Amino acid sequence: MTMYCLHQKPKVRGHMPVMLPMRLRADGLPLADRLFNLWTLTALVLALAAVLIGPAFAQLATPDERTILTILLEWTPTLAKGFGFNVLISVLSMLIGTIMGVFLGVLQVSQIRPIRQSAWLVTQFFRNSPWLVLLFYCILLIPFQFEVFGVKVPFPGWIKAVIGLSLPVMAYTSEFMRGAILSIPTGQWESAESLGFSRRMTLTNIILPQTVKRVLPSWMNLYAVLTMATPLVSIIGVDDVMALTRAALSAEGRADLLIPMYLYILSWFFLYCYPISSLTRVLERKYSVKL
Amino acid sequence: MRTYIKAALTAVVATLTSTAAMADALQDIKDAGKIVVGVKQDYKPWGYLTSDGQLQGLEIDLAKDVAERLGVEVELVPVVASNRMEFLQQGRIDLIIATMGDNPQRREVIGMIEPNYYAGGTNVLAPKAAGLENWEDLKGADVCALQGSYYNKRVTQLYGPNLVAFAGIPEATAALLNGSCVAFLYDNTWIESQLASDAQWAEFEMPFPTEDPQAWSIAVPLEELDQPYGKLMSEIVTDWHKSGYLIERNAANGIAPSPFLQAEHDRLK
Repeated sequence: MTMYCLHQKPKVRGHMPVMLPMRLRADGLPLADRLFNLWTLTALVLALAAVLIGPAFAQLATPDERTILTILLEWTPTLAKGFGFNVLISVLSMLIGTIMGVFLGVLQVSQIRPIRQSAWLVTQFFRNSPWLVLLFYCILLIPFQFEVFGVKVPFPGWIKAVIGLSLPVMAYTSEFMRGAILSIPTGQWESAESLGFSRRMTLTNIILPQTVKRVLPSWMNLYAVLTMATPLVSIIGVDDVMALTRAALSAEGRADLLIPMYLYILSWFFLYCYPISSLTRVLERKYSVKL
Repeated sequence: MRTYIKAALTAVVATLTSTAAMADALQDIKDAGKIVVGVKQDYKPWGYLTSDGQLQGLEIDLAKDVAERLGVEVELVPVVASNRMEFLQQGRIDLIIATMGDNPQRREVIGMIEPNYYAGGTNVLAPKAAGLENWEDLKGADVCALQGSYYNKRVTQLYGPNLVAFAGIPEATAALLNGSCVAFLYDNTWIESQLASDAQWAEFEMPFPTEDPQAWSIAVPLEELDQPYGKLMSEIVTDWHKSGYLIERNAANGIAPSPFLQAEHDRLK
């Protein structure tokens, strides 16, 4: 195994095909195997159209009633604010969780046994805890404000939610990192050592840069999952798009609004997560392992 | 066990947060220039959201009136039944005006202001076609209800319906309209105002005599109940009844006239 392949495209001449890793091209996957694809998008649009247009015809008899479409449009600015909140929470949780997760992942391959084991324990604990339970703990245990040098620093519920959601992100990222680090051939460690690299330098200059492309697709999938999990925060009293949707539904008090409105919100999540999922596929293709 | 854990957690939080001297909450509110009131945002017409994102309703009016009397700004924080008491204990909010029923268990945790400012009872909303006549007719029938409502247990024990509990009013009413249940068990004041104001309930009725009246209370932290803050709140509620302000706001928000409000008005006049 050689080192020169890091920064420049290697010449594959002379390599035996059996030594090449299997190439799994994302675009090779059948369309139906991807959760987000043109078919699900079409189905969603059709469902939305059916729900919105169907009742609109039925309501012609009572012209004084506002149509469902009007109501949805009327609530859009308010709901959009709530959705922005969901996005903010997901971005911040992802940021904090990733930073902590990378450290934890590196600790998981530490040469010192107690560190390795405790990092493993923390990772497994948060990876296998229900997200909602972690959220509840954060909401109840963290005070709503801190006093720093006599100045009261408020600590609102949504920040607690960010902390609560960053814990599972940390654990998943930690596992991604461990897997990626271990997947890099051990020969690289040995070569680096023979070139006089310390362990830390090997890690930061050689191993970690290579993990990025291995981790990226699963990391982005995790982000999409996290975004779709943010409505959980409505249960603990954060005013996200879900809480506002519920408020909107009870303010309108119309039972026929229930399904269109939830579908409307669902389509927002879809439209937000679909490009991320597409981008993940592009990156997977770009970074698919070439030797 | 759950309440024990909850109490323990609350105690931890309380010790963490109570570092500031709890000398005079009223003075603190005036110094801060604002009172933070926990209100409902999903309980039309008591507290609800308008499409431009503003809170409105009877209880919002009350919260604004409290702020006006104290000469401070009002900050409204939407709460739900499961977090309002914790918010009050933690100090996240100064006052609860959120359709909260007054009962002995809650009195041990937070300071319920007397007199009560409102009262509701238990009844059902049912299609006229169902022909329900008295509570016993519910035996074995599918009845929609809301999760965590205090009257669910009592009604189940007394009349043995098959309760189907939903997370929110829209879900429960949708189930009632599509025939998944024969009745929706809820607060009589809400049912009355719905029947009076909404055309979709034209073929529905409130068939039973209202039972189990529950008084609603606004609440301050328990330790403030006998302090100037709690006393002032009590005076304000008394004045609301005396001056007819509550009756007037009740009507202005399109709620059916409340016998309780009338009785309190006559009693305190």
